[in-house]
Amino acid sequence: MEAPPVTVMPVTGGTINMMEYLLQGSVLDQALESLLHRLRGLCDNMEPETFTDHELVYLLKGQQGNPFILRARRSLSHPTSPWHLRYLGQPEVGDKSRHALVRNCVDVAASHSLPEFLNEMGFRMDHEFVANGHIFRKGAMKVVVSKLSRILVPGNTENTERLSLSFLVELSVSAPAGQDTVSEDMRSFAEQLKPLVHLEKIDPSKQRH
Amino acid sequence: MQQREEKQLEAAVESLISRVAHVKNALHSFIYKLENEYERLTWPSVLDNFALLSGQLNTINKLLKNEKTPSFRNQVIIPLLLSPDRDEDLAKLTEQRVPVFSHEIVPDYLRTKPDPEVEEQEKQLSAEAARIGPEVAQKQIQTLNKLCSNLLEKLNNPRDDRDAESAAIRQNKPSFNPADTNALVGAVAFGKGLSKCRPPGPVAPGHPGQGPMMSGGPTLQQVTIGGGSSQQAGMGGHVAPQQQGQPGRRPGELGKMPSSIKTNIKSASGSMHPYNR
Repeated sequence: MEAPPVTVMPVTGGTINMMEYLLQGSVLDQALESLLHRLRGLCDNMEPETFTDHELVYLLKGQQGNPFILRARRSLSHPTSPWHLRYLGQPEVGDKSRHALVRNCVDVAASHSLPEFLNEMGFRMDHEFVANGHIFRKGAMKVVVSKLSRILVPGNTENTERLSLSFLVELSVSAPAGQDTVSEDMRSFAEQLKPLVHLEKIDPSKQRH
Repeated sequence: MQQREEKQLEAAVESLISRVAHVKNALHSFIYKLENEYERLTWPSVLDNFALLSGQLNTINKLLKNEKTPSFRNQVIIPLLLSPDRDEDLAKLTEQRVPVFSHEIVPDYLRTKPDPEVEEQEKQLSAEAARIGPEVAQKQIQTLNKLCSNLLEKLNNPRDDRDAESAAIRQNKPSFNPADTNALVGAVAFGKGLSKCRPPGPVAPGHPGQGPMMSGGPTLQQVTIGGGSSQQAGMGGHVAPQQQGQPGRRPGELGKMPSSIKTNIKSASGSMHPYNR
């Protein structure tokens, strides 16, 4: 229990060693329809998909070093679906030759007792939010356009408040480590969304303050 | 008398066959050009080909209307034998186009009238055409011409319109706000702005006057993810005592991270509410 347990251990082997390639941007409410229209044209032909998710971010703090973070997500529109537990590694943004932010990523489905389980393990919830919006796909690429809302009364997902007047736009691909060609595809796709949205590789640590 | 008629008929068929052969050759060479020389083919030469075909068809029409040509309508052709088997002679005669003389194809080849449905449609169309007076027709033609010229005009100078439009979009309606992007990215990454009770930056441990909400371990916003953080070890000491002073909070909703798991579990039941609402 002394050392921060899993954080420092590389996640290896099989399908687990996946990287998430990510580009982020935002779109103002009044331009949302144009963006959705363009995405419908650009992405795979499928039924428009919407979602409403509740995300809880849990921390586990060891004696020293950084806290270990897990993200638990559940669908509010499909309450019977399993929870989704996600670990995201440190983002690698320095590499100029890569066009997207790259980070280790582990996704697992979990049962509904996930919050209790995490609590028993010593995890504590740091913050929570509600995201609702639209999902599009183009091949392996996933485009999520979502509205973020803060929860005013903890645990009550009905009572929320818009975080900003913009929708968050995320373009992501999960791929095995080392497949940097996907970031090329992502960049060319992001080009097609300009000037409506500028999808960029944003270093989150610069947004902290 | 009969013999003379027969001779006449034979001659007429003969000349008809030669004319049809001409049309066939012209069609053949035109199709060949379309398929193989479409890169070099110019529109005037395509029109020339159409003119040639139309002239040849006209000649055939004239031949058929000629007084000397006996009326082919009076000649009756009856299929005497239908066979589902392949007929080599027939295939040779028709350049492999009709290999069998069967029930399936005979009605198509020996037909002298269109299908009843087609006939019906044609009748409707001619009735429609007859119903519209010449003035109305003239008006319709004018409207169509107007529409076409408008469309052509638009197609010919699209750049002006498009440029004006995109310029308007650029000037009047920015579709995104970089500050919002940063806020949203910060929110999904660290919960920035999501939990109002927390101070935005690192807080000196045990700072007086900040109230019980400020105490506790580092939150995600306060922890430097990229590098190590130095203050957390010192902060842990303040957690337990202050949390014990806040009984009655629900354990499942605490948001603070005590510095060690052991303390954490111990103090879970007495931890404070992470939100000040």
